Amino acid sequence: MGTLLKDRNKLAWLLATVVLLLLPFAFGKGFYLNTMNFIALHAMVAVGLCLLVGYGGQLSISHSAFFAIGAYASAIFCLRYHLPPFTSILLSQGLSALLAWGIGWVVLRLKGHYLAIATLSFTIIVEVLVKEMAWLTGGLQGLSSIPSISIGGWVIDSDYRFYFVAWPITMLLLLFSLNLVDSRMGRIFKAIKENEDIARQFGADVKAYKIKLFIVSSVYASIAGSLYAHFITFISPVTGSIMFAIDIIMVLAFGGFTLLWGAMIGVVSLTFLNEYLTIFADFKRAIYGLALVIIILFFPNGLLLGLRDFGNRIFLFITEGRKKHASA
Amino acid sequence: MLQLNGVSKDFGGLRALSDVTLNVRGGQIKGLIGPNGAGKTTLFNLITGVFPPSRGSIRFLGKETTNLEPEKVARLGVSRTFQQPHLFKSLTVWENVMLGRHYRTRGEFIACGFRFPKAIKEEKDIQEQSLEYLNLFGLADKKDQIASKLPLGEQRYLEVARALATEPKLLLLDEPTSGLNDHETEQFRDLLFKIRGTGVTLLVIEHHMRFIMGLCEEIAVLNFGTKIAEGSPQEIQVSPEVITAYLGTEENID
Repeated sequence: MGTLLKDRNKLAWLLATVVLLLLPFAFGKGFYLNTMNFIALHAMVAVGLCLLVGYGGQLSISHSAFFAIGAYASAIFCLRYHLPPFTSILLSQGLSALLAWGIGWVVLRLKGHYLAIATLSFTIIVEVLVKEMAWLTGGLQGLSSIPSISIGGWVIDSDYRFYFVAWPITMLLLLFSLNLVDSRMGRIFKAIKENEDIARQFGADVKAYKIKLFIVSSVYASIAGSLYAHFITFISPVTGSIMFAIDIIMVLAFGGFTLLWGAMIGVVSLTFLNEYLTIFADFKRAIYGLALVIIILFFPNGLLLGLRDFGNRIFLFITEGRKKHASA
Repeated sequence: MLQLNGVSKDFGGLRALSDVTLNVRGGQIKGLIGPNGAGKTTLFNLITGVFPPSRGSIRFLGKETTNLEPEKVARLGVSRTFQQPHLFKSLTVWENVMLGRHYRTRGEFIACGFRFPKAIKEEKDIQEQSLEYLNLFGLADKKDQIASKLPLGEQRYLEVARALATEPKLLLLDEPTSGLNDHETEQFRDLLFKIRGTGVTLLVIEHHMRFIMGLCEEIAVLNFGTKIAEGSPQEIQVSPEVITAYLGTEENID
Protein backbone atom coordinates (compact mmCIF):
# COMPACT_ATOMS: atom_id res chain seq x y z
CA MET A 1 0.00 0.00 0.00
CA GLY A 2 2.93 2.26 0.75
CA THR A 3 4.18 2.29 -2.82
CA LEU A 4 0.70 2.71 -4.26
CA LEU A 5 0.12 5.73 -2.08
CA LYS A 6 3.44 7.17 -3.13
CA ASP A 7 2.58 6.71 -6.78
CA ARG A 8 -0.87 8.20 -6.26
CA ASN A 9 0.70 11.26 -4.70
CA LYS A 10 3.17 11.60 -7.56
CA LEU A 11 0.43 11.10 -10.11
CA ALA A 12 -1.74 13.75 -8.48
CA TRP A 13 1.23 16.10 -8.41
CA LEU A 14 2.02 15.54 -12.09
CA LEU A 15 -1.61 16.01 -13.07
CA ALA A 16 -1.99 19.19 -11.01
CA THR A 17 1.23 20.60 -12.46
CA VAL A 18 0.21 19.93 -16.05
CA VAL A 19 -3.27 21.39 -15.52
CA LEU A 20 -1.86 24.48 -13.81
CA LEU A 21 0.71 25.13 -16.54
CA LEU A 22 -1.91 24.74 -19.29
CA LEU A 23 -4.47 26.94 -17.53
CA PRO A 24 -3.32 30.27 -19.09
CA PHE A 25 -3.54 28.73 -22.58
CA ALA A 26 -7.08 27.55 -21.95
CA PHE A 27 -8.43 30.70 -20.30
CA GLY A 28 -6.23 33.40 -21.79
CA LYS A 29 -4.51 36.29 -20.06
CA GLY A 30 -7.45 37.49 -17.97
CA PHE A 31 -7.35 39.14 -14.58
CA TYR A 32 -7.77 35.73 -12.92
CA LEU A 33 -4.02 35.21 -13.53
CA ASN A 34 -3.32 37.86 -10.92
CA THR A 35 -5.39 35.93 -8.39
CA MET A 36 -3.67 32.70 -9.38
CA ASN A 37 -0.27 34.31 -8.82
CA PHE A 38 -1.23 35.29 -5.31
CA ILE A 39 -2.51 31.78 -4.74
CA ALA A 40 0.90 30.44 -5.79
CA LEU A 41 2.71 32.72 -3.35
CA HIS A 42 0.34 31.94 -0.49
CA ALA A 43 0.56 28.24 -1.27
CA MET A 44 4.33 28.30 -0.75
CA VAL A 45 3.86 29.76 2.70
CA ALA A 46 0.98 27.42 3.54
CA VAL A 47 2.83 24.27 2.45
CA GLY A 48 5.85 25.36 4.47
CA LEU A 49 3.75 25.95 7.56
CA CYS A 50 1.92 22.67 7.01
CA LEU A 51 5.26 20.83 7.14
CA LEU A 52 6.08 22.50 10.43
CA VAL A 53 2.67 22.05 12.06
CA GLY A 54 1.72 18.69 10.59
CA TYR A 55 5.06 16.95 10.88
CA GLY A 56 7.03 18.99 13.41
CA GLY A 57 3.96 19.42 15.62
CA GLN A 58 4.79 23.09 16.11
CA LEU A 59 2.53 26.05 15.49
CA SER A 60 4.57 29.04 14.42
CA ILE A 61 3.13 32.51 13.86
CA SER A 62 6.39 33.79 12.41
CA HIS A 63 5.77 32.90 8.78
CA SER A 64 4.52 36.37 7.90
CA ALA A 65 7.74 37.72 9.39
CA PHE A 66 9.85 35.44 7.20
CA PHE A 67 7.73 36.49 4.21
CA ALA A 68 8.58 40.11 5.07
CA ILE A 69 12.25 39.29 5.63
CA GLY A 70 12.42 37.56 2.24
CA ALA A 71 10.73 40.54 0.58
CA TYR A 72 12.72 43.26 2.32
CA ALA A 73 16.09 41.52 2.16
CA SER A 74 15.79 40.91 -1.54
CA ALA A 75 14.60 44.45 -2.21
CA ILE A 76 17.38 45.93 -0.10
CA PHE A 77 20.10 43.83 -1.75
CA CYS A 78 18.76 45.04 -5.09
CA LEU A 79 18.16 48.71 -4.34
CA ARG A 80 20.90 49.53 -1.85
CA TYR A 81 23.64 47.16 -3.00
CA HIS A 82 22.69 47.02 -6.69
CA LEU A 83 22.81 43.26 -6.92
CA PRO A 84 20.86 41.56 -9.72
CA PRO A 85 17.39 40.31 -8.60
CA PHE A 86 18.32 36.67 -8.99
CA THR A 87 21.37 36.97 -6.73
CA SER A 88 19.36 39.05 -4.25
CA ILE A 89 16.69 36.39 -4.01
CA LEU A 90 19.26 33.65 -3.36
CA LEU A 91 21.12 35.74 -0.79
CA SER A 92 17.84 36.53 0.99
CA GLN A 93 17.10 32.83 1.41
CA GLY A 94 20.53 32.38 2.99
CA LEU A 95 19.81 35.25 5.35
CA SER A 96 16.36 33.86 6.23
CA ALA A 97 17.83 30.42 6.86
CA LEU A 98 20.44 31.94 9.15
CA LEU A 99 17.81 33.93 11.05
CA ALA A 100 15.52 30.91 11.28
CA TRP A 101 18.41 28.91 12.70
CA GLY A 102 19.04 31.55 15.37
CA ILE A 103 15.37 31.97 16.23
CA GLY A 104 14.76 28.23 16.14
CA TRP A 105 17.71 27.57 18.42
CA VAL A 106 16.26 29.89 21.06
CA VAL A 107 12.54 29.38 20.58
CA LEU A 108 12.17 25.69 19.82
CA ARG A 109 12.88 24.77 23.43
CA LEU A 110 9.32 25.92 24.02
CA LYS A 111 6.21 23.94 23.22
CA GLY A 112 2.56 24.55 22.40
CA HIS A 113 1.21 27.97 23.39
CA TYR A 114 4.61 29.14 24.56
CA LEU A 115 6.11 28.48 21.16
CA ALA A 116 3.18 30.24 19.46
CA ILE A 117 3.63 33.29 21.70
CA ALA A 118 7.41 33.39 21.20
CA THR A 119 7.07 33.23 17.40
CA LEU A 120 4.31 35.85 17.60
CA SER A 121 6.69 38.15 19.46
CA PHE A 122 9.28 37.65 16.76
CA THR A 123 6.70 38.67 14.15
CA ILE A 124 5.88 41.82 16.09
CA ILE A 125 9.57 42.67 16.49
CA VAL A 126 10.14 42.31 12.76
CA GLU A 127 7.12 44.51 12.03
CA VAL A 128 8.40 47.22 14.37
CA LEU A 129 11.93 47.06 12.95
CA VAL A 130 10.60 47.34 9.41
CA LYS A 131 8.68 50.48 10.38
CA GLU A 132 11.44 52.08 12.44
CA MET A 133 14.60 51.36 10.44
CA ALA A 134 13.53 53.81 7.76
CA TRP A 135 17.12 54.38 6.51
CA LEU A 136 17.16 50.75 5.39
CA THR A 137 13.54 49.77 4.85
CA GLY A 138 11.95 53.05 3.85
CA GLY A 139 9.81 53.02 6.98
CA LEU A 140 6.08 53.49 6.47
CA GLN A 141 6.65 54.59 2.87
CA GLY A 142 8.15 51.23 2.09
CA LEU A 143 10.41 50.49 -0.85
CA SER A 144 9.37 51.03 -4.44
CA SER A 145 10.81 50.54 -7.93
CA ILE A 146 12.17 47.13 -7.01
CA PRO A 147 13.53 45.67 -10.25
CA SER A 148 11.66 42.73 -11.76
CA ILE A 149 13.31 39.38 -12.21
CA SER A 150 14.69 38.79 -15.67
CA ILE A 151 15.55 35.41 -17.10
CA GLY A 152 17.74 35.54 -20.17
CA GLY A 153 16.39 38.87 -21.42
CA TRP A 154 12.79 38.08 -20.43
CA VAL A 155 11.65 40.57 -17.85
CA ILE A 156 9.05 39.04 -15.56
CA ASP A 157 6.81 42.09 -15.32
CA SER A 158 3.34 40.82 -16.27
CA ASP A 159 0.87 38.51 -14.55
CA TYR A 160 1.19 36.17 -17.47
CA ARG A 161 4.97 35.85 -17.23
CA PHE A 162 5.07 35.72 -13.46
CA TYR A 163 2.59 32.87 -13.53
CA PHE A 164 5.23 30.68 -15.19
CA VAL A 165 7.78 31.58 -12.54
CA ALA A 166 5.60 31.32 -9.44
CA TRP A 167 3.70 28.14 -10.17
CA PRO A 168 6.66 25.93 -11.14
CA ILE A 169 8.41 27.04 -7.95
CA THR A 170 5.29 26.37 -5.87
CA MET A 171 4.87 22.93 -7.37
CA LEU A 172 8.56 22.13 -6.87
CA LEU A 173 8.31 23.15 -3.22
CA LEU A 174 5.21 20.97 -2.89
CA LEU A 175 7.07 18.05 -4.48
CA PHE A 176 10.01 18.62 -2.13
CA SER A 177 7.59 18.46 0.81
CA LEU A 178 5.79 15.36 -0.48
CA ASN A 179 9.16 13.65 -0.94
CA LEU A 180 10.38 14.72 2.46
CA VAL A 181 7.27 13.45 4.21
CA ASP A 182 7.59 10.13 2.42
CA SER A 183 11.16 9.38 3.50
CA ARG A 184 13.17 8.46 6.58
CA MET A 185 12.83 12.08 7.71
CA GLY A 186 9.04 11.96 7.40
CA ARG A 187 8.96 8.76 9.44
CA ILE A 188 11.15 10.13 12.21
CA PHE A 189 9.02 13.28 12.39
CA LYS A 190 5.86 11.21 12.77
CA ALA A 191 7.61 9.28 15.53
CA ILE A 192 8.81 12.45 17.24
CA LYS A 193 5.34 13.94 17.08
CA GLU A 194 3.87 10.82 18.65
CA ASN A 195 6.45 10.19 21.35
CA GLU A 196 9.58 12.28 21.51
CA ASP A 197 11.22 10.26 24.29
CA ILE A 198 10.96 6.97 22.45
CA ALA A 199 12.08 8.52 19.16
CA ARG A 200 15.21 9.76 20.93
CA GLN A 201 15.98 6.25 22.12
CA PHE A 202 16.07 5.28 18.46
CA GLY A 203 18.78 7.81 17.78
CA ALA A 204 16.66 10.77 16.66
CA ASP A 205 18.41 14.06 17.34
CA VAL A 206 15.10 15.77 18.06
CA LYS A 207 16.47 19.25 18.78
CA ALA A 208 18.51 19.42 15.58
CA TYR A 209 15.71 17.99 13.44
CA LYS A 210 13.19 20.50 14.76
CA ILE A 211 15.51 23.42 14.08
CA LYS A 212 16.22 22.16 10.56
CA LEU A 213 12.51 21.72 9.84
CA PHE A 214 11.89 25.23 11.15
CA ILE A 215 14.57 26.55 8.78
CA VAL A 216 13.10 24.72 5.77
CA SER A 217 9.60 25.87 6.64
CA SER A 218 10.67 29.50 7.16
CA VAL A 219 12.61 29.57 3.90
CA TYR A 220 9.42 28.54 2.07
CA ALA A 221 7.78 31.72 3.36
CA SER A 222 10.88 33.75 2.59
CA ILE A 223 11.02 32.54 -1.04
CA ALA A 224 7.40 33.62 -1.47
CA GLY A 225 8.27 37.01 0.05
CA SER A 226 11.23 37.59 -2.27
CA LEU A 227 9.22 36.66 -5.37
CA TYR A 228 6.41 38.94 -4.20
CA ALA A 229 8.78 41.90 -3.84
CA HIS A 230 10.17 41.54 -7.37
CA PHE A 231 6.74 40.93 -8.85
CA ILE A 232 4.76 43.75 -7.22
CA THR A 233 7.93 45.95 -7.19
CA PHE A 234 6.63 47.78 -4.13
CA ILE A 235 6.66 46.65 -0.50
CA SER A 236 5.56 48.30 2.73
CA PRO A 237 5.12 47.25 6.37
CA VAL A 238 1.71 45.86 5.40
CA THR A 239 3.50 43.22 3.28
CA GLY A 240 4.33 40.86 6.10
CA SER A 241 1.84 41.99 8.69
CA ILE A 242 0.58 39.73 11.38
CA MET A 243 -2.80 39.40 9.66
CA PHE A 244 -1.03 37.49 6.92
CA ALA A 245 0.23 34.93 9.45
CA ILE A 246 -3.32 34.48 10.71
CA ASP A 247 -4.59 34.11 7.13
CA ILE A 248 -2.16 31.25 6.53
CA ILE A 249 -3.18 29.53 9.75
CA MET A 250 -6.76 29.94 8.57
CA VAL A 251 -5.80 28.19 5.33
CA LEU A 252 -4.46 25.23 7.31
CA ALA A 253 -7.51 25.19 9.57
CA PHE A 254 -9.57 24.90 6.43
CA GLY A 255 -7.44 22.40 4.50
CA GLY A 256 -6.11 20.28 7.33
CA PHE A 257 -3.10 20.85 9.54
CA THR A 258 -1.38 17.62 8.58
CA LEU A 259 -2.22 17.37 4.90
CA LEU A 260 0.06 19.01 2.32
CA TRP A 261 -2.59 18.75 -0.38
CA GLY A 262 -5.06 20.22 2.09
CA ALA A 263 -2.85 23.31 2.32
CA MET A 264 -3.06 23.69 -1.46
CA ILE A 265 -6.82 23.19 -1.55
CA GLY A 266 -7.18 25.53 1.42
CA VAL A 267 -5.31 28.36 -0.32
CA VAL A 268 -7.35 28.05 -3.51
CA SER A 269 -10.71 27.87 -1.73
CA LEU A 270 -10.01 30.68 0.70
CA THR A 271 -8.64 33.00 -1.94
CA PHE A 272 -11.77 32.65 -4.05
CA LEU A 273 -13.96 32.85 -0.96
CA ASN A 274 -12.09 36.03 -0.12
CA GLU A 275 -13.09 37.55 -3.45
CA TYR A 276 -16.78 36.91 -2.71
CA LEU A 277 -16.53 38.11 0.87
CA THR A 278 -15.31 41.57 -0.19
CA ILE A 279 -18.94 42.74 -0.05
CA PHE A 280 -18.70 42.43 3.73
CA ALA A 281 -15.70 44.79 3.74
CA ASP A 282 -14.27 45.09 7.26
CA PHE A 283 -16.62 42.47 8.66
CA LYS A 284 -14.63 39.89 6.67
CA ARG A 285 -12.11 39.59 9.50
CA ALA A 286 -14.88 38.98 11.99
CA ILE A 287 -16.36 36.27 9.79
CA TYR A 288 -12.91 34.66 9.46
CA GLY A 289 -12.33 34.80 13.19
CA LEU A 290 -15.69 33.22 13.94
CA ALA A 291 -15.13 30.53 11.31
CA LEU A 292 -11.68 29.74 12.75
CA VAL A 293 -13.13 29.29 16.24
CA ILE A 294 -15.91 27.04 14.97
CA ILE A 295 -13.55 24.93 12.86
CA ILE A 296 -11.05 24.44 15.69
CA LEU A 297 -13.88 23.52 18.07
CA PHE A 298 -15.48 20.91 15.85
CA PHE A 299 -12.65 19.84 13.52
CA PRO A 300 -9.36 20.27 15.38
CA ASN A 301 -7.46 18.60 12.53
CA GLY A 302 -8.84 21.06 9.99
CA LEU A 303 -12.17 21.36 8.19
CA LEU A 304 -11.45 19.19 5.14
CA LEU A 305 -9.78 16.39 7.11
CA GLY A 306 -12.57 16.60 9.66
CA LEU A 307 -15.25 16.37 7.00
CA ARG A 308 -13.45 13.42 5.42
CA ASP A 309 -13.34 11.55 8.73
CA PHE A 310 -16.96 12.47 9.36
CA GLY A 311 -17.88 11.14 5.90
CA ASN A 312 -15.96 7.93 6.59
CA ARG A 313 -17.82 7.47 9.84
CA ILE A 314 -21.21 7.95 8.20
CA PHE A 315 -20.19 5.54 5.45
CA LEU A 316 -19.11 2.99 8.09
CA PHE A 317 -22.34 3.56 10.00
CA ILE A 318 -24.43 2.88 6.90
CA THR A 319 -22.47 -0.19 5.77
CA GLU A 320 -22.26 -1.62 9.30
CA GLY A 321 -25.98 -1.02 9.74
CA ARG A 322 -26.70 -2.84 6.52
CA LYS A 323 -24.51 -5.76 7.61
CA LYS A 324 -26.34 -5.98 10.92
CA HIS A 325 -29.63 -5.80 9.08
CA ALA A 326 -28.53 -8.58 6.73
CA SER A 327 -27.37 -10.84 9.54
CA ALA A 328 -30.57 -10.29 11.55
CA MET B 1 31.18 -4.14 27.69
CA LEU B 2 28.77 -2.39 30.06
CA GLN B 3 29.90 -1.35 33.51
CA LEU B 4 27.69 0.22 36.15
CA ASN B 5 29.67 1.47 39.08
CA GLY B 6 27.90 2.31 42.35
CA VAL B 7 24.85 3.65 40.53
CA SER B 8 22.03 5.23 42.59
CA LYS B 9 18.85 6.92 41.48
CA ASP B 10 16.55 9.02 43.64
CA PHE B 11 13.13 10.21 42.56
CA GLY B 12 12.39 13.03 44.98
CA GLY B 13 12.80 11.37 48.35
CA LEU B 14 12.30 7.90 46.96
CA ARG B 15 15.41 5.84 46.34
CA ALA B 16 14.76 3.61 43.33
CA LEU B 17 18.29 2.26 43.06
CA SER B 18 21.11 2.38 45.54
CA ASP B 19 24.73 1.64 44.88
CA VAL B 20 24.26 -0.92 42.12
CA THR B 21 27.41 -2.29 40.51
CA LEU B 22 26.85 -4.46 37.49
CA ASN B 23 29.03 -5.83 34.72
CA VAL B 24 27.85 -7.16 31.38
CA ARG B 25 30.51 -8.91 29.36
CA GLY B 26 30.46 -8.90 25.56
CA GLY B 27 28.69 -11.89 23.98
CA GLN B 28 26.86 -12.72 27.20
CA ILE B 29 23.16 -13.19 27.87
CA LYS B 30 22.69 -11.71 31.30
CA GLY B 31 19.51 -11.89 33.30
CA LEU B 32 18.14 -9.26 35.64
CA ILE B 33 15.46 -10.43 38.03
CA GLY B 34 13.78 -9.17 41.14
CA PRO B 35 10.33 -8.58 42.61
CA ASN B 36 8.10 -5.82 41.24
CA GLY B 37 9.40 -2.36 42.07
CA ALA B 38 12.95 -3.59 42.60
CA GLY B 39 14.25 -0.97 40.13
CA LYS B 40 14.90 -3.13 37.08
CA THR B 41 13.26 -0.86 34.54
CA THR B 42 14.83 2.19 36.22
CA LEU B 43 18.19 0.54 35.62
CA PHE B 44 17.35 0.20 31.91
CA ASN B 45 16.34 3.85 31.78
CA LEU B 46 19.69 4.83 33.31
CA ILE B 47 21.65 2.70 30.85
CA THR B 48 19.79 4.15 27.86
CA GLY B 49 20.16 7.72 29.09
CA VAL B 50 16.46 8.46 29.66
CA PHE B 51 17.58 10.10 32.89
CA PRO B 52 21.03 10.36 34.49
CA PRO B 53 21.90 8.54 37.72
CA SER B 54 21.98 10.55 40.97
CA ARG B 55 25.32 8.98 41.82
CA GLY B 56 27.75 6.54 40.27
CA SER B 57 28.95 6.07 36.72
CA ILE B 58 28.04 4.08 33.65
CA ARG B 59 30.51 3.04 30.98
CA PHE B 60 29.72 1.38 27.68
CA LEU B 61 32.49 -0.01 25.47
CA GLY B 62 35.01 1.85 27.60
CA LYS B 63 33.24 5.18 27.01
CA GLU B 64 31.66 7.17 29.82
CA THR B 65 27.91 7.39 29.13
CA THR B 66 26.72 8.48 32.58
CA ASN B 67 25.21 11.81 31.50
CA LEU B 68 24.82 11.13 27.79
CA GLU B 69 21.51 11.95 26.04
CA PRO B 70 19.42 8.94 24.94
CA GLU B 71 20.00 9.53 21.21
CA LYS B 72 23.75 9.48 21.76
CA VAL B 73 23.63 6.30 23.83
CA ALA B 74 21.49 4.70 21.12
CA ARG B 75 24.00 5.71 18.47
CA LEU B 76 26.76 3.94 20.44
CA GLY B 77 24.84 0.70 19.88
CA VAL B 78 22.41 0.27 22.75
CA SER B 79 18.83 -0.61 21.89
CA ARG B 80 15.91 -1.77 23.98
CA THR B 81 12.35 -3.01 24.14
CA PHE B 82 9.75 -1.83 26.62
CA GLN B 83 7.72 -3.55 29.30
CA GLN B 84 4.55 -2.11 27.76
CA PRO B 85 5.20 -2.17 24.00
CA HIS B 86 5.85 1.38 22.81
CA LEU B 87 5.28 1.05 19.10
CA PHE B 88 4.46 4.08 17.01
CA LYS B 89 0.73 4.09 16.38
CA SER B 90 0.94 6.44 13.42
CA LEU B 91 3.27 4.04 11.61
CA THR B 92 2.69 0.60 10.09
CA VAL B 93 4.45 -2.57 11.25
CA TRP B 94 6.97 -2.19 8.44
CA GLU B 95 7.55 1.50 9.09
CA ASN B 96 8.20 0.79 12.77
CA VAL B 97 11.10 -1.46 11.80
CA MET B 98 12.26 1.05 9.18
CA LEU B 99 12.43 3.57 11.99
CA GLY B 100 14.92 1.27 13.68
CA ARG B 101 17.18 1.79 10.65
CA HIS B 102 17.02 5.54 11.15
CA TYR B 103 20.38 6.32 12.68
CA ARG B 104 22.13 3.74 10.54
CA THR B 105 21.20 5.81 7.49
CA ARG B 106 22.19 9.33 6.57
CA GLY B 107 20.05 11.15 3.99
CA GLU B 108 18.59 14.32 5.50
CA PHE B 109 16.29 17.12 4.36
CA ILE B 110 17.97 18.06 1.10
CA ALA B 111 18.79 14.52 -0.02
CA CYS B 112 15.32 13.20 0.86
CA GLY B 113 13.40 16.22 -0.44
CA PHE B 114 15.13 16.26 -3.81
CA ARG B 115 15.24 12.45 -3.99
CA PHE B 116 18.95 12.31 -4.74
CA PRO B 117 19.92 8.92 -6.20
CA LYS B 118 21.75 7.98 -3.01
CA ALA B 119 18.62 8.79 -0.97
CA ILE B 120 16.47 6.61 -3.25
CA LYS B 121 18.94 3.76 -2.93
CA GLU B 122 19.15 4.22 0.81
CA GLU B 123 15.34 4.15 1.15
CA LYS B 124 15.22 0.94 -0.90
CA ASP B 125 17.89 -0.60 1.35
CA ILE B 126 15.93 0.46 4.43
CA GLN B 127 12.80 -1.20 3.09
CA GLU B 128 14.56 -4.44 2.14
CA GLN B 129 16.54 -4.76 5.35
CA SER B 130 13.47 -4.01 7.44
CA LEU B 131 11.55 -6.69 5.59
CA GLU B 132 14.29 -9.19 6.46
CA TYR B 133 13.84 -8.41 10.16
CA LEU B 134 10.09 -8.83 9.77
CA ASN B 135 10.67 -12.19 8.09
CA LEU B 136 12.85 -13.30 10.98
CA PHE B 137 9.87 -12.77 13.30
CA GLY B 138 7.24 -14.03 10.89
CA LEU B 139 5.58 -10.64 10.62
CA ALA B 140 6.18 -9.98 6.93
CA ASP B 141 2.59 -10.61 5.86
CA LYS B 142 1.33 -8.12 8.42
CA LYS B 143 3.72 -5.38 7.35
CA ASP B 144 1.06 -2.89 6.27
CA GLN B 145 -1.05 -3.14 9.40
CA ILE B 146 -1.00 -0.44 12.03
CA ALA B 147 1.48 -1.64 14.64
CA SER B 148 -0.72 -1.12 17.69
CA LYS B 149 -3.47 -3.32 16.18
CA LEU B 150 -1.27 -6.44 16.47
CA PRO B 151 -1.87 -8.93 19.29
CA LEU B 152 0.42 -8.39 22.29
CA GLY B 153 2.75 -11.29 21.47
CA GLU B 154 3.39 -9.97 18.00
CA GLN B 155 3.86 -6.46 19.33
CA ARG B 156 6.67 -7.83 21.49
CA TYR B 157 8.25 -9.53 18.49
CA LEU B 158 7.95 -6.30 16.54
CA GLU B 159 9.66 -4.38 19.32
CA VAL B 160 12.59 -6.80 19.19
CA ALA B 161 12.65 -6.55 15.39
CA ARG B 162 12.72 -2.76 15.60
CA ALA B 163 15.49 -2.83 18.19
CA LEU B 164 17.52 -5.32 16.15
CA ALA B 165 17.14 -3.16 13.05
CA THR B 166 19.37 -0.60 14.76
CA GLU B 167 22.16 -3.25 14.68
CA PRO B 168 22.78 -2.87 18.41
CA LYS B 169 25.84 -4.18 20.22
CA LEU B 170 23.85 -4.40 23.43
CA LEU B 171 20.15 -5.25 23.43
CA LEU B 172 18.07 -4.62 26.54
CA LEU B 173 14.86 -6.63 26.77
CA ASP B 174 12.28 -5.65 29.37
CA GLU B 175 10.07 -8.65 30.22
CA PRO B 176 9.98 -9.95 26.65
CA THR B 177 7.89 -13.03 27.42
CA SER B 178 5.10 -11.51 29.50
CA GLY B 179 1.89 -12.15 27.63
CA LEU B 180 3.37 -15.01 25.61
CA ASN B 181 2.21 -18.63 26.01
CA ASP B 182 4.59 -21.53 26.76
CA HIS B 183 5.08 -22.46 23.14
CA GLU B 184 5.82 -18.87 22.11
CA THR B 185 8.21 -18.53 25.04
CA GLU B 186 10.17 -21.59 23.83
CA GLN B 187 10.36 -20.11 20.35
CA PHE B 188 11.44 -16.82 21.79
CA ARG B 189 14.32 -18.42 23.66
CA ASP B 190 15.60 -20.02 20.46
CA LEU B 191 15.35 -16.65 18.77
CA LEU B 192 17.39 -14.97 21.50
CA PHE B 193 20.11 -17.60 21.19
CA LYS B 194 20.12 -16.92 17.47
CA ILE B 195 20.44 -13.18 18.10
CA ARG B 196 23.31 -13.79 20.50
CA GLY B 197 24.90 -15.92 17.78
CA THR B 198 25.09 -12.83 15.57
CA GLY B 199 27.31 -11.14 18.14
CA VAL B 200 24.72 -9.15 20.11
CA THR B 201 25.06 -8.98 23.87
CA LEU B 202 21.77 -9.28 25.76
CA LEU B 203 20.56 -8.02 29.11
CA VAL B 204 17.13 -9.40 29.89
CA ILE B 205 14.63 -8.46 32.60
CA GLU B 206 12.30 -11.36 33.27
CA HIS B 207 9.74 -12.68 35.71
CA HIS B 208 9.42 -16.04 34.00
CA MET B 209 11.87 -18.08 36.09
CA ARG B 210 12.11 -21.22 34.00
CA PHE B 211 12.72 -19.08 30.90
CA ILE B 212 15.46 -16.97 32.45
CA MET B 213 17.21 -19.90 34.14
CA GLY B 214 17.44 -21.72 30.81
CA LEU B 215 18.56 -18.63 28.93
CA CYS B 216 21.27 -16.88 30.91
CA GLU B 217 24.77 -17.79 31.96
CA GLU B 218 24.66 -15.16 34.64
CA ILE B 219 21.87 -13.52 36.60
CA ALA B 220 21.78 -10.47 38.85
CA VAL B 221 19.03 -10.07 41.41
CA LEU B 222 17.67 -6.71 42.51
CA ASN B 223 15.50 -6.13 45.55
CA PHE B 224 14.38 -2.71 46.83
CA GLY B 225 16.94 -1.05 44.58
CA THR B 226 19.99 -2.99 45.73
CA LYS B 227 21.75 -5.90 44.12
CA ILE B 228 21.36 -8.81 46.51
CA ALA B 229 22.93 -11.58 44.47
CA GLU B 230 24.75 -12.30 41.24
CA GLY B 231 25.93 -15.54 39.74
CA SER B 232 25.05 -18.56 37.65
CA PRO B 233 21.40 -19.75 37.61
CA GLN B 234 22.35 -22.61 39.94
CA GLU B 235 23.92 -20.27 42.47
CA ILE B 236 20.96 -17.90 42.29
CA GLN B 237 18.44 -20.67 42.90
CA VAL B 238 20.05 -21.68 46.19
CA SER B 239 20.99 -18.19 47.38
CA PRO B 240 19.26 -17.57 50.73
CA GLU B 241 18.91 -13.82 50.00
CA VAL B 242 17.07 -14.51 46.78
CA ILE B 243 14.77 -17.04 48.34
CA THR B 244 13.99 -14.56 51.10
CA ALA B 245 13.32 -11.77 48.61
CA TYR B 246 10.93 -13.88 46.56
CA LEU B 247 9.25 -15.99 49.21
CA GLY B 248 9.71 -13.87 52.32
CA THR B 249 11.13 -15.22 55.56
CA GLU B 250 9.05 -17.13 58.03
CA GLU B 251 8.79 -14.04 60.20
CA ASN B 252 7.44 -12.11 57.23
CA ILE B 253 4.81 -14.74 56.57
CA ASP B 254 3.69 -14.47 60.19
